[in-house]
Amino acid sequence: MLRKIAFNLFAWSIVLAVAFPLFWMLVTSVKPQFELFRRPPTMLPETFTLEHYWGLLTETKFLSYFWNSIILSTTTTVVVVAIATIGSYSLVRFRYRGRETLAFLVLFTYLLPSVVLILPLYLMLVNLGLSNTITSLVIAYTTFALPYALWLLRSFMAGIPEDLESAALVDGASRLGAFWDVILPQLLPGIISTALFTFILSWNEYLYALVLVNSDEARPLTTGVMNMLISSFNIEWSLLMAASVMMSVPLIIAFAFLQSYLTRGFGAGGVKG
Amino acid sequence: MADVVFSSVQKQFGSFMAVDNLNLDIQQGEFISLLGPSGCGKTTTLRMLAGLEFPTGGEIKIGDRVVNDVPPGERDIAMVFQSYALYPHMSVGQNISYPLKKRRVPKAERAAMMAKTAEMLQLTPLLDRKPKELSGGQQQRVALGRALVRDPKVFLLDEPLSNLDAKLRGHMRTELIELHQRLGRTMVYVTHDQLEAMTMSDRIAVMEGGKLQQFAPPKDVYREPANRFVASFIGTPGMNIVDGALRHEGGRWIFEAPGISVGTQNLGPETRPGNAAMGIRPEGLSFGEGPIEGIVQLVEQTGHENIVVVLVGTDMRLTGRTAADRVWRAGESVQLSIDSNQAHFFEDGPNGIRLNRPLSSPGNQEAAQ
Repeated sequence: MLRKIAFNLFAWSIVLAVAFPLFWMLVTSVKPQFELFRRPPTMLPETFTLEHYWGLLTETKFLSYFWNSIILSTTTTVVVVAIATIGSYSLVRFRYRGRETLAFLVLFTYLLPSVVLILPLYLMLVNLGLSNTITSLVIAYTTFALPYALWLLRSFMAGIPEDLESAALVDGASRLGAFWDVILPQLLPGIISTALFTFILSWNEYLYALVLVNSDEARPLTTGVMNMLISSFNIEWSLLMAASVMMSVPLIIAFAFLQSYLTRGFGAGGVKG
Repeated sequence: MADVVFSSVQKQFGSFMAVDNLNLDIQQGEFISLLGPSGCGKTTTLRMLAGLEFPTGGEIKIGDRVVNDVPPGERDIAMVFQSYALYPHMSVGQNISYPLKKRRVPKAERAAMMAKTAEMLQLTPLLDRKPKELSGGQQQRVALGRALVRDPKVFLLDEPLSNLDAKLRGHMRTELIELHQRLGRTMVYVTHDQLEAMTMSDRIAVMEGGKLQQFAPPKDVYREPANRFVASFIGTPGMNIVDGALRHEGGRWIFEAPGISVGTQNLGPETRPGNAAMGIRPEGLSFGEGPIEGIVQLVEQTGHENIVVVLVGTDMRLTGRTAADRVWRAGESVQLSIDSNQAHFFEDGPNGIRLNRPLSSPGNQEAAQ
């Protein structure tokens, strides 16, 4: 009994430690400026205000950065998932020379620190005339999201019985038809996991965005918010917290909707054994 | 008319020869079993016929058409997989009508054909369920339904009963036989279960090591096995096989092994003296008076008979059958005799060919009398 209570206390203290910064972010974003630096600090805001949110939306370029981030992350996700799906199909279903080596090489590129790749990538993108564009970030993000996505989907793909595809072929489907009718629906949980992973990765990415993009037209949220709210003289804490809350919203929504998909469909029956 | 023909077909995976120089002539409407231990090439053979594997040599014909390069969907075949391979995200109804959909059968016609098939297989109440909500036997029916729905030229069945429990398996065996009689379609059935092959087939193709060992009706495979492998593979309990030597003496052949000597006249002209093997099925051994001395080692009571394993000499074990009412004790001494008319003789080696004259040949008739 005592053990159980001790265990529960321990577990809850960890949860609190993890959740507190998030809670503080939320609270700070709705406190008026004068309450922020009061000592001792107030746990819950004495005066509730949404002025920082309003200020962020109306007086800064937050919305434009937000929009850039949406376009950037969505495009990256679509490109990465599309290539990884087809790539993993090839790695799993076709027998060709160097297949395993290829899969290993792909993983190897993922092991390289991104800092190593950033300069060559920057030079290449400048030469291609893509510097300071969202496209350049899509390409950069794809280079580091694709290897992992490929490996993730490869394991999902390997879990789909080959008999299903053979059955579709015998039933009169073309290879592409079998892929579309049978493989893709089975792969859906894998695709959603991979998409979520890629989306989060590109949504939160900072380093590449900092180096590759230097204009407000293409800047995503991460570097945009830092750029606009942190100057060498001052940090706009309340605006920063409001921006952080709003940055988290799309991810929370995505998780809430897709979480059931992530678990549903795993091990769906139909093949005995 | 031959419906399916394999001519010198071979399939090589890297340096591994999965199917070697296979020749098969399957008649229209025949029920053929490909029988053999795992890894014998039977499933590869079926997959080549389905178009899921492509032969590395030879020619496969369905009807009058060479299908070596024809994709599976255009071969007019249907296949039932060992795993059933039902599409998990589709309902039973959608699973059954999928082949029709892929062949662009109009929707109304599709629904009618699906309903008819479901009716025949008693699946009508289950049409809206998903495969994972069905029992093994029901899933099996759906897999059959998906094959039956469009009346193909050839049915391919890859160990379709192996995932069912023993009772259901017996039941489905009868249903498949009835189905074959009703449809009159060519069926090619892969199995490692000799009981299935023996009870269902018109002819059995016994395979081993990628090679066809014998292709004959079940009765012949049992009574006149082409070689030692077929002899030992077919039959439960298996045939007793004794290594020894043949010699020719006074117009007849004598087979000798330690403790055993059997004379026979009905060997073919290609028989040569020297090392050989003799096979005798359990029912060819009689207990009681006889020249062979042994000790009972083990008795299995099946209810309607006893299977008795007898140790002869130091290391030879012979298995026989006796009536269920005869009581045996382990360690008991027994005398055995071998019915030479039921003995098979094989050339030396694991796949040594059978040396006996064919049962129907005139020389054999005399020998039997």
